[in-house]
Amino acid sequence: MEIGSEIANRPRRGGEDDGRTGLSRRGFLRVAGLAGVAAGLAGHVARADGQIGYFAMDLPDDRLAGMLRTILRIRWHERTMADRMLSDPSYRAYNHFYAGQEAVATGVCAALRNDGPFEQIDLVYSTHRPTGHALAKGVDMAKMQAEMDFRATGLNGGYAAEMHISDPSVGFIGADGMIGPGHVIATGSAFAFRARGSDQVSVVFGGDGTYATPHFHSALNNARLLDLPFIYVLENNLYHQYAHYSYSCPHTDIADAARAYGIPARVVDGQDVFQVYNAAKEAVDRARAGGGPTFIEAKTYRYYNHLGAPGAEVGKLGAFGYDPLAITSFRPEREVRAWMQRDPVDIARATLIDWGVLTAEAADAMEAEVRAEVDAAFAWAAGQPLCNPEDGLKHVFAEGEVMPRQVA
Amino acid sequence: MTEKTWMYSVLEAVQWEMRNDPAMTWIFELTPPVATNAGMPVINLETEFGRRRVVNTGIDENWMASAVPGAGLAGSKAATYIPYQGAGMPYQVIQNHAGKLRSMSGGRASMPVVFVIEMTGQTPGFAGQHSDYEVDTIYAHIAGVRTVVPSTPYDAKGMMHAALRSPDPVVFLYPAGLRMLSEEVSDAPYEVPLTKAAVRQEGSDLTIVGSGAGMPEVLEAAATLTGEGMSVEVIDLRVLKEMDTETLVTSVAKTRRLLAVDQSYYTLGPAAEVVARCAENVEGARFRRIAFSDAPPPASPEMFTWMRPDATRIADAARRMV
Repeated sequence: MEIGSEIANRPRRGGEDDGRTGLSRRGFLRVAGLAGVAAGLAGHVARADGQIGYFAMDLPDDRLAGMLRTILRIRWHERTMADRMLSDPSYRAYNHFYAGQEAVATGVCAALRNDGPFEQIDLVYSTHRPTGHALAKGVDMAKMQAEMDFRATGLNGGYAAEMHISDPSVGFIGADGMIGPGHVIATGSAFAFRARGSDQVSVVFGGDGTYATPHFHSALNNARLLDLPFIYVLENNLYHQYAHYSYSCPHTDIADAARAYGIPARVVDGQDVFQVYNAAKEAVDRARAGGGPTFIEAKTYRYYNHLGAPGAEVGKLGAFGYDPLAITSFRPEREVRAWMQRDPVDIARATLIDWGVLTAEAADAMEAEVRAEVDAAFAWAAGQPLCNPEDGLKHVFAEGEVMPRQVA
Repeated sequence: MTEKTWMYSVLEAVQWEMRNDPAMTWIFELTPPVATNAGMPVINLETEFGRRRVVNTGIDENWMASAVPGAGLAGSKAATYIPYQGAGMPYQVIQNHAGKLRSMSGGRASMPVVFVIEMTGQTPGFAGQHSDYEVDTIYAHIAGVRTVVPSTPYDAKGMMHAALRSPDPVVFLYPAGLRMLSEEVSDAPYEVPLTKAAVRQEGSDLTIVGSGAGMPEVLEAAATLTGEGMSVEVIDLRVLKEMDTETLVTSVAKTRRLLAVDQSYYTLGPAAEVVARCAENVEGARFRRIAFSDAPPPASPEMFTWMRPDATRIADAARRMV
């Protein structure tokens, strides 16, 4: 199902690529890109699929730089969170860290419609590892952090916390604390889009562990049967919870399974945001044009263990220590360090400097701005009020509240 | 005899049964069947019995829960450990297959199988989809499946032996909030019946009935009330299906007052069944129940802890009745 070149030649439809007129000044780069500009970036960029259109090169500078900024915002939110968890006993929030995978959320969401009326924006369904997806889709960092810290003024009023955050206003339908159900539900949104003639797209992020669930197969089968505007982004970070994915999936490329359902599928380098964007752009174009679902498998890696920061140290990226919960199979330190050599921050930054979009100084300045923004978000969140206990009886139904039953 | 934790006690029973039945299997995901205990050898079912009999699956509770009755129908003893995130996923196959096959086969189908269902989601911090305040109720409701919820390491080991030896499918609820509990537990195998509630404390003024993860709070409240001079009888249900009506009715016939406590949702929770059975059989007694409200547990510890029927609330409710 390699139809990338066909899609690449399709006229642009406007929208999130905003159809800027004229070939960008990087037009020559695009040509070079198809010829394999990767050679000039040896060691930084690995091209997975030569037939794919290199859409990212046509983007204006501000959107390209915006992708690096998003990656940095996710990264520094993660690192700040890890440091707080490790160093501050009074800090109550917890996290399933996304660090290492930033390019996937960023590249996919950069190809989506994230602003505008709810009836027009694309929807994202996330996982129990949601912070990267949330920030990439446009969720407010400070409010998200307040939610993760169980504050009354948090994104969801303190009812959700990390594995359950959501913000429909930017199309972030939300984290799904479970593995599987969200994928099928996401096809339901795609079904609604098709039924009402909308060009919206429904995207679900899932991990390699989802392959084993019945929901994975139901979602793909029904998306294909109904040609739904549905994109399955499978972030293969090699481990589901504490087990290597070979415990639950016989395929090396899980994309092979999607092809068996008749769904076009691509395997991309999940550490390279521009490769991810290119695949997502192709998928979004296909879905908006009525061409049905797409499956993207992004090969990636998480720098921390499944939950929290065991094995990590304050001020240092990544977790290398033995995780006491990883009894059956745990990640060799050598594997973690090897993946960190292909860091999504480094790759995006080096590519943009190579393309002349940013200077090293400008990239440094951007990172400093991001760190200040993250610090401010954490400070704001920490100053927010705690929840009123009695409010636990609210939001069960649209109106009213339920009876307290813990008292006679 | 050694002081043992809840999970060590349970796995000791499983290990004994697997050593004595080379056909028996164990299926898990996420939570390896491994337990350690001071002064005792490490139990690791996966390394001891090998991956042919002890399987680490993908995230597929539907398969886990279905494979176990399948093994049972083929004549093998089998058990699975469903972690809390998936406590509802096995419901269909337990409700519609495991619970019905003996009856719909006219007694010909038999399934000596155990579904260990973990209830980590009743501990603070496990909100939203990671909470489980309905699991005991829904499994207690269905017919044809013995549903038990031991609250001590001693009971857990004895009920696991009994469950694995039972020809009926057993849902073995694991209130994971009790994982740090330990007590003296015999090294030798023994059975605790799958049909009996336990009277934890005898008294004459009031009967308090609790179960599973709620028992430490009930016992703490009872200790407070006893210190105040109240004579409290405490019953630990242990068995939700089939519930031990006799022990309940005998107690309430004596005390004339029943306070039933649930850690699950109020509507149709085990406490509702306790009150109904006693009301049907004891004339003129007073009844009260407290439970978690019919609201999904919020993440905020401030909201969540306020909503729990804890020892203070249990004692308050008791004082209003006596």
